[in-house]
Parts: sequence; C-alpha cells; structure tokens
Amino acid sequence: MLQLIFFNVTNGLIIGAFYALMAIGLSLILNLSGVINFAHGGFLVIGGYLAYALTPRLGFWGALIVAPFLTALIGFAVERLLIRRLYGRDPLYSLLLTFGLAFIIEDGTRQIWGANGLPFSVPAALTSPLSYQFFFITGYRMFMVAVVAIVVALLFVLLRYTRIGVRIRAGTLDLETVAALGVNVRALRSLNFAVGIFLAGLAGVLAAGQIGLEPTMGDGLLMPSFIAIIVGGVGSLTGTLLGGLLIGVASGLTAVIFPSASEAVIYVMMAIVLLVRPRGLLGEEGMLT
Amino acid sequence: MIKRFGVGGLDRRALLKVGAAAGLAQVAAPFVISARGEAPIKIGVANPLTGTYAAPGKNESIGMQLAVDQLNAKNGILGRQIEMLIEDSTSGDAGAAVQKTRKLIERDNVDFLVGNVNSALAQAMAQVSNEKGVLHIVPGGHTDPITGTDCKWNVFRVCNTTRMEANAVSDLLFKTYGKKWHFITPDYAFGHTLYQGCEADLKKLGGTVTGNELTPLGTTDFSAYLIKARAANPDVLVVLVQGNDMVNCLKQISQFGIDKQIHVAGTQQELEPVEAMPPEARVGVWMFEWYWKQAAGTPGLDDFIAEIRKRSGKVPTARTWFGYVTIHAYALACEKAKTIEAKAAAKALGDMELPPEIKLQPNKVYFRGGDHQLMLSAFLGELLQTGDGDPENLFKVNSIVAGDSIAPSVADTGCKMNMPA
Repeated sequence: MLQLIFFNVTNGLIIGAFYALMAIGLSLILNLSGVINFAHGGFLVIGGYLAYALTPRLGFWGALIVAPFLTALIGFAVERLLIRRLYGRDPLYSLLLTFGLAFIIEDGTRQIWGANGLPFSVPAALTSPLSYQFFFITGYRMFMVAVVAIVVALLFVLLRYTRIGVRIRAGTLDLETVAALGVNVRALRSLNFAVGIFLAGLAGVLAAGQIGLEPTMGDGLLMPSFIAIIVGGVGSLTGTLLGGLLIGVASGLTAVIFPSASEAVIYVMMAIVLLVRPRGLLGEEGMLT
Repeated sequence: MIKRFGVGGLDRRALLKVGAAAGLAQVAAPFVISARGEAPIKIGVANPLTGTYAAPGKNESIGMQLAVDQLNAKNGILGRQIEMLIEDSTSGDAGAAVQKTRKLIERDNVDFLVGNVNSALAQAMAQVSNEKGVLHIVPGGHTDPITGTDCKWNVFRVCNTTRMEANAVSDLLFKTYGKKWHFITPDYAFGHTLYQGCEADLKKLGGTVTGNELTPLGTTDFSAYLIKARAANPDVLVVLVQGNDMVNCLKQISQFGIDKQIHVAGTQQELEPVEAMPPEARVGVWMFEWYWKQAAGTPGLDDFIAEIRKRSGKVPTARTWFGYVTIHAYALACEKAKTIEAKAAAKALGDMELPPEIKLQPNKVYFRGGDHQLMLSAFLGELLQTGDGDPENLFKVNSIVAGDSIAPSVADTGCKMNMPA
C-alpha cells in the first residue's frame, strides 16, 4: 500500500507538471487581458496536429520546436483579429467568443484531418520505462517533465528580468497605470497572448505523444487547468504551477483509494479552496473582481 | 405622388410583377407535384457527429448513405425514393439526443429512426421512438438491456450485446492467457454490462477477478489505474474501454511496457481506434464485430470495400457495416411487409435472415424475433502491429464464430416482447 501511494504521488507530480504547463498559459492570458480562454484546449489540439503534419519533414524534434511557434502565430492572429475587439467589454463577451472558437477549431481539425484519431509516435529512445520497478516513469514522461521545467524556468526569468516581463507583471496588477506611463499596451497584450498560446501548442505536441491525437483531445485537459488556476490563485503564476502539481497528486492518490472519484476530487478541492480561501493558495486579494 | 400611397418602398410595377408571379405559381404548382410522384420515405438519424464518438458516428453515416444510394438507384423502397436526415446527437448528452429524436419524429415526420453509437443515448432514444410508435434500429450501442430487459416491439439492434461480446472472447482468453483477470472498465451503461458478462463467464470457468478499475468516459491518463492493475499481479489485463479511451489506454500500456509483463487483451476492438494508435500499441487478443479482410469469394464483399473506399478513402469498419446493414434491413422488411407501416415492418423484420450481399460474412446472420437482436458473427483474432504487408490490415482473424452460438437464449436476456395487436 505504501509503495502504491508513493508510486501515485510521483505519477501525480508528472501529470501535474503537464496541467501546470497548460494552466500557466491560460493564467498569463487571464491575468493581463482578463480573457478566460476557453479555446485553449483547441490551440492545444492545433499544436498536436501541426506536429503530426510536420513530423514527416522535420522529425519529432523539429516538430516539437516548430509546431508551438506556428500555434503561437495563429494565436497572435486570433488576438489581433478577434479578441482585441472585446477588451473594453464585459469578460462574458470574450468568454463567449473563445467558447465559439473552441467549437470552430474542433470542427476545423475534423474537416482537415478527419474525425478519426491519428497515430503519433514518439522517438523509440523515449518510449521505454526507466526501470522495471518504476515502470510508469518512462523516458518520455521524464522528458515531458524536463521540458515543462525548462520552459517554466525560462518564463519566470523572462517575467522577472526582462523589460517586457516586468511590463507584463506590472500590467497584471494595474494596466491603466502601465498604459499611462507610455507602454504600448496593445502590443504587450498581443505578445502575451501569443506566449500563452505557445505554451498551449507545446502542451499539444507533448500530449500527442502520450494520449490519442484527435479533435477533442483538449477537452479533458482544459478543466483541470482552470481548476489549477483557481486552486493556485488567480494572478499568481507560481500559484498556478503549484495548483497544477497539487491536483495531479490529489487525483493520483484518490485513484488508489477510491478510483471512481479520481476525477471528481479536483472539483472537490476547488470547492474547498473557494470556501476556505477564495483567493486561492497564493492568489492576491481582489484579483479579477 | 403615387409612391406615397404604395406599400412601403414597393411601387405599383413591382407589386404587379409579384402578383403575376404568384398567380403563375398557382397554375404551375399542380404540374410540379404530379411530376414529383409519391413523397420520399424519410429516414431520421440521430448519431454523434461531434465529441468522443464522432469517428464511429461518421462511419455509420457513410455505410447508411451507401445503402440509401444503392436503393435509390434501384427504385427505392416500394417504389419510393429515400431521403436521409442526419442530426448530431452529441457523444454523451442524452438530453440532446432525445431533443433531436423528437425533432426528427414530430417536426420532420420521419418514417424510420436510427441511432445511437452511445448505449445510454440509444436507450433514451428508444423511449421516445416507442412512445411515438416509430420503427427504430440501434446500429451500434451495445449495452444488454436494449434487446434485453428493456426490449421494445419497435426497437431492433444490429451490433452485438455486451453479453455476446463477453461470451465470444472469455473462453479464448482463459485458455490462452490464464485465470486471474484485472479489468479496466468504462464507467457507464456499456462498461457495466460488459464487465458483468466477463465476470460471470470467468466465474463459470473457475477464474478470479483481481480488480476492476472503473474509469470515467473520456479519461486521458490511465497511469494511476495501470499502477494499481500491475500491483494486483493478474495474468491478463482486460481492457474494456472504447474509442479514444482505448487509444490512450493502450498507448500508455505500451509505453509503460506492461504488455511485456502481463498479457493485454479485451473484448470489443474496432478499426477506428486501432488506426489511431502507433504500431507499438497494437497488442493482444480481441474480437471485431465485423472485419473487411475475409476469405476471397465472400459474396458482395469486394464491391462493398471498393464503394466505401471511394467514399471515405479507407477500408470499411464494423461501423460502416452497421450503417449499411441498418438501412438494407429496413428496406427488406418494408418490401416483405409491402408497407412502411411500423408494426407490419417490425413483424417482417423479426426472424429475418440477411442475404449474402448484405451480411458480407460466413454463418447465418438473422434478427431474432424474440428479442430483436441481430445474430452476427464474432471475428476473433489478434492485432497486427504493421499489417502483414498491407498497411490497412491491422487484425489477424483466427476464427469467425456464429452469433447464435455466443448469444444467451431469449429467455436469459430477460426480454419480454409485447407486440401490439
């Protein structure tokens, strides 16, 4: 039993790292633009399919790098053409827009690549488990965690030490003042949106190696990511990271004790956090109100 | 001046033109109607076009459309052309499926209803079709009660019952792999009855269940369940999940190397998920409900494959065949009854045997009058990783078992059929 719990905690951390990658992208967009991006799962799907299309030409490694950039480019265009127009309005408008976008992306991928899933393989070097005992720690999962760790570290460096990063953080706290100081807020938001979508695209490529590549693959990953944000605290990227890891471990542990509740447990966690500490674990008071 | 008295922006000339056109239409209308002949027979389909089951739903539509086109090219049904109306039932929302069913029956006045891939949605639709007295065929929802405890005079089913699937494979799994089984089961109607069937068979054979992992429909990460399953140390890991869940589960099983430590197998397997898996995930013994690669000379098979390939660019799957059989069975029943009236057609469909060019397989294939279940063969065999020289051939059929040899008797299904007078 103890071993089983240990296994599942480790496993939960691996899954949690993935949720965190999704959630941080969502969180970036939410913090600076006030947009609850329901199409985030759709952009994840785009990332996965682009990687599938690029793999024959660029190989897995090339696709891993190029596909997220292309996804970010699409995200950039979407922000410029559609989302930007709704910034001044109630968040409900952008929520409806991204909700619709999610459907359009799902059906669009179905039109282009077919309703049936597509086989996506990862390099053979990554597919085998590291040891017989810890069979669930495969080369690919370690690789996923490493990629998430590197990207998150880079993002934090970007936000802390670069001019743009400082502006994004400042904008999260008080956008009007940042604008009044002469910063081009429109460009800042576009860039920030593209960075968030880049993370979704990257998550898509990574997910395609682990789960089936099909038009609805983003659906099951989107809700846990939202919950990671709420648990971790809106406005705090560290909180989002923590929230992602926490819900991963929680659902892993529940699977040992009461498997059919392993999905529900993350909602229960969210409910408890909202009741006891509505701003989330590391959230700032009064964000997004 | 005159404009001021006209209607809105319309002037007198325009008004005259519209009036003349309307008058002409009155005169012309009878000719159009008489030229059109009898109104077409309407077939209403409520099946998933979006969500997890979009792929099987779409393939069923392709099979149905082929049958409709074939029939329409040859005088339709009883001399009337067929018109097919397809609605998206969603993959898991019973409310949406019921709403679409009501729309098809009440507003579009369909003569015949088809659906659903999802067992739970099929059950919900059957309630409505029964209440309205519309003939209804379930092409691909497997849970037992549809042609068991909940059987209805107007409802027929083409695909297997979950109990038939369990019976088809259990013996083979037990003999080939051993007696300790661990299950990964989808947590809804289909999974529950499939598990019950397997468990009952296993007990009869003298084996034991080491555990049953109930996983929600749409599970993406199976690692927690797989950790538990391996810790229980079974002889066989029996995978009952379907669709994308099957892809995710087998993909992760192969990445974890579990298939090299424990035998991995299952009951129902389909070409749709197998095509979506990377080669290394294609492992184990399974049953297909229909498979395209059969003995040369199977009547009608080559034509069917060629027609489907023309329409979808791919070989037919069991889903394509379900759709194809559904429409042809309805047409045959109406021709036999010489009417499309639901009760007469239902009577004609009971005990009807499918002709060779429709059944497309060996063994006798027929609807059982007692429970309205089609007795179709089970194709037993194992998955091929890369397809024996043919990239589309991903399953090696070892034996084709007759449906009535794996089906429980009508009495055992719990069906009490009440045919209206």
